[in-house]
Amino acid sequence: MNLPNLTLADFLPMLPAIIMVVAASVLLLSEVFLSATASRGYQAVLTVVAAVASGAVAVGLMFEPPQEVFLGFGVLDPFSSFLTLVVSVGLGLAALSAVGFLRKRGAERGEFYALMLFASAGMSLLAMSSEFITIFVNIEVLSIATYALTAYLRRGTRPSEAGFKYFILGAFSSAVLLYGTALLYGATGTTKLNDIAGPLQQALTTSPALVYVGAVLIAAGFAFKVAAVPFHMWTPDVYEGAPTPVTALMSAGVKAAAFASLVRVFVTVGKGMDPKLPLMLFATLALLTMVAGNLMAIPQRNVKRMLAYSSIAHAGYLLLGVAALFVAAPGEHFRLLSASSLSGGTPLDVARSDALRGILYYLLAYTFSAAGAFAMVSALERREDEEKGTAWDLERFAGLAQRRPGWAFAMAAFMLSLGGIPPTVGFMSKLLIFQAAIDVGLVGLTVVAVLSSAAGAYYYLRVVVYMFMHPVPEGAQPLERNWGTEAALVIATVAVVLLGILPGHVTDWLAQAGTLFGQ
Amino acid sequence: MSFFDTHLLNVVIYLPLVFAALVLALPASEHGQVRTITFVGMLLDLVFGVWAYFRFDPSGAEFQMEYRVPWFQQFGMSYHLGVDGLAVSLLLLTVFLGPLVVLASTTYIQHRIKEFHLALLVLQTTMLGALASMDVLLFYIFFEAMLIPMYLMVGVWGAEDRRMAAVKFFLYTLVGSLLMLVAIVAVYFISGGPGVRSFDYGTLYNNLLAANQQLAACSNGPEGACAGLTGLAATLHTYGPWMFAAFALAFAIKVPMWPVHTWLPDAHVQAPVAGSMILAGVMLKMGTYGFWRFAIPLFPVAAHAARPFLAVLAVIGIVYGALMCLAQRDIKKLIAYSSVSHLGYCMLGLLAVTGEGATGSAYQMLNHGISTGALFLLFGFLYERRHTRLMSDYGGIAKVMPVFTAAFVIITFSSVAVPGTNGFIGEFLVLMGTFKSTLPLGFGAFATLGVILGAAYMLWMVQKVFFGSITHRENQHLRDMNVREMLTTAPFIVLVAVMGLMPQPFLDRIAPSTDRYVARASVGAPGATQAKDDQLRVEVMSLPSTAAAARPSVPAAPLAVRE
Repeated sequence: MNLPNLTLADFLPMLPAIIMVVAASVLLLSEVFLSATASRGYQAVLTVVAAVASGAVAVGLMFEPPQEVFLGFGVLDPFSSFLTLVVSVGLGLAALSAVGFLRKRGAERGEFYALMLFASAGMSLLAMSSEFITIFVNIEVLSIATYALTAYLRRGTRPSEAGFKYFILGAFSSAVLLYGTALLYGATGTTKLNDIAGPLQQALTTSPALVYVGAVLIAAGFAFKVAAVPFHMWTPDVYEGAPTPVTALMSAGVKAAAFASLVRVFVTVGKGMDPKLPLMLFATLALLTMVAGNLMAIPQRNVKRMLAYSSIAHAGYLLLGVAALFVAAPGEHFRLLSASSLSGGTPLDVARSDALRGILYYLLAYTFSAAGAFAMVSALERREDEEKGTAWDLERFAGLAQRRPGWAFAMAAFMLSLGGIPPTVGFMSKLLIFQAAIDVGLVGLTVVAVLSSAAGAYYYLRVVVYMFMHPVPEGAQPLERNWGTEAALVIATVAVVLLGILPGHVTDWLAQAGTLFGQ
Repeated sequence: MSFFDTHLLNVVIYLPLVFAALVLALPASEHGQVRTITFVGMLLDLVFGVWAYFRFDPSGAEFQMEYRVPWFQQFGMSYHLGVDGLAVSLLLLTVFLGPLVVLASTTYIQHRIKEFHLALLVLQTTMLGALASMDVLLFYIFFEAMLIPMYLMVGVWGAEDRRMAAVKFFLYTLVGSLLMLVAIVAVYFISGGPGVRSFDYGTLYNNLLAANQQLAACSNGPEGACAGLTGLAATLHTYGPWMFAAFALAFAIKVPMWPVHTWLPDAHVQAPVAGSMILAGVMLKMGTYGFWRFAIPLFPVAAHAARPFLAVLAVIGIVYGALMCLAQRDIKKLIAYSSVSHLGYCMLGLLAVTGEGATGSAYQMLNHGISTGALFLLFGFLYERRHTRLMSDYGGIAKVMPVFTAAFVIITFSSVAVPGTNGFIGEFLVLMGTFKSTLPLGFGAFATLGVILGAAYMLWMVQKVFFGSITHRENQHLRDMNVREMLTTAPFIVLVAVMGLMPQPFLDRIAPSTDRYVARASVGAPGATQAKDDQLRVEVMSLPSTAAAARPSVPAAPLAVRE
């Protein structure tokens, strides 16, 4: 048997994930030598340092030419590197907001940060994976770590309920995904994405049902992970029950990684089949998700739950971008030209690569806005209220502008960004997605998207109303400050405003990276 | 001087923002300093704004003081500023109101003073930015961003139902403008292939021009003549009406035209005096300005088709607004509905597509800013003394506040267009333009009826509030205007007289823009004398080439496979 010939160059693309895993191991090992009362302040610092380091490496890797790694089990391309950057940002912000959160609960342990790091490593690797088994394994790596994180705070019923719910539904969706994979394998005889296009076209003539059922099952599995309607049922409960920093990581990182993998799988599978199927599939999902997500968020008074529904709505806008990837001219052989839009190609090619760029920018924008918002939520909640369920009531935001003007400004920036109001990054990223969608001709769906985002503005504004226009409630407890939350808020606010005013830097950078997608 | 040659508009736009940063640095307890610095900033901005107004050469290029640098170029945007005659006039109105709004708030705003002035300064920047934007998306960004400070202003410093009014204002405007965003992006894509298209106003307009002319030629021909169209003209034939509808809805909400005006009475009544002044003075003009600059010139054929419909709405707005005024007992609501009526004239003047109509409309935009701004200001003074908005709580005020009454009556004359005031010039031109236009005679007739109703409700209100005997004990000892209040009011009264007696300097600057507007709007009209292309085309500065623009495109690298 020939052993695969792996060199150091195969490991370089994984460096961000390796950094995270090493940091996680250090945290776990050091925990062994600490007494129960020892200071654990270094743990968050180490996590943030690891996030910064892996983010920096990811930025460097963006300029590497696209290449297969590990014998085609993974692909290093700017797409995966950018996703790693998004994941690192989410990890860093979540870790910063965890500092005060854990201290308030006396729950500072190395395991918490280690699990976050393991989950992020899984996300980063998932974005690179281009083989079905690898994809499945990485989904499990990130999922199992997040299941554990969800139930990390063992006191009370909520964490265990949320953890259990997440676990059952997560396991179910993984099984659905795996089943779809198995069907595709049965039809094509390969699990490598880069080899699948040819056999898939053959299989479509011999056993089309197998291919279509497989593709739909895979899509359903991913739809669970990205919380698309009607596979979203778990999201509000899990997001609400999980420790808030973990919710931040889930809404930013897990979603981004799942989207990355979904795009990678379907762009390759789409080459072998009529792109109409993925188009129909994702357009329908996008429609349902945008409308239902926004409508269900409107009645929420619980801000954390509202943000959960808002994350569903945002998955809808992203799915609109994904659907735009699969619009093909009649008779056109489907492909994704992913070079910069400056370098020609048919207008549809250009539009599709704009859509891909829009998805990436949107993920970054959403990560900053949502992680910032969750950091704010975690700063305001108190442990005593959690069981009562009032910990995240809108009332807790009342009069925040008078109590902590800086916080209120930051939260207002996040809310406006999530609502897509200029001059925030939320507007720019929505603009990119809508622009691409209109360019490929999905105008009707885009109109639905803007109308539903107008409905969305209502519930985001309500938080602003409470912060700025309601009086400070009587007997309000003083708000504690800590460096972690403050740092997370400052970083996220600066990013939300700056990326909204000067989006060119990141998008130029995405364009400079040339081929986004290594296929 | 070379700095101001290129950057004058930037200075005008961002000076308030710089002062906002100064205010931000002050401790919140320093109320006096906050007010002073804001006032100084607004005053300085006025100086630069006036300078820009006088720098504008009516016989020069259409757009002047242009500034353009690459910004988010990959997606067809550039940071492009420039003003034409109308924009520079509205810009002057905006900077004129700035310091007065600060003065008007010195006693009215008593809590969260620092935040209030921050909102004022930021709002000023966004409004000026929207007026000077030559890139459609840049305009959109400022247009949307100005909602945020205004929303806070109504919601935080407003009257009892302020939160409802603020949210209603925000959502109403947002729905319209989001649909416009879709239309903006769509028109960008149809206007040309990659490399040709741009969000820049000049490029966008010029790209559409030929197709619009083609389309106009066939839509005035026999039935079905447009079936043979190809390319851009065919696309515009199919989708142009939809895009125009999206633009028109967004701007109609902002104007506001009947029947999408319902946010306005709430927002005006609940807003603090500064909010009402800015809302009436400048923000409503963004709607008419949008029709003038974007909606009608970009889609002249669709606009021409929709003209009777829009004109009917405008006339309904005029008459309905006036009738609603007659039914009001709340003074602020009355002034708000009078805005609906007055803006109806602006719209009617635009839709008349005659030189007189457009000039009158532009002049009326300025007039309304001055007269309604002043009405809200003066009523604010009264409200501070009595804290009631009901007409029945006043009566006989003239006996105790003679100076105030004199000022109020002068402004009322301007509002009801008494000859000798600025209002007369504007309304007269609009009516003349409407009668001369191709619109049926009934439009002019109903609009004239609106003038009579306008005089009726304003004078009726003045009579009930100021004349007669004092019926309420509380009103017996109201003090008259103090020096600050007089100083705040005086500029308005001066302008009413100056603009009424010497309109020419103001009209000179508007005239070249009106000619071009009429030429561009007539592209869609049947039998219009074809204006010359150099009158129609928009000449703007081109984007300076930069390293980023000249960067060679990166070829698609094939996937490297390692063995």
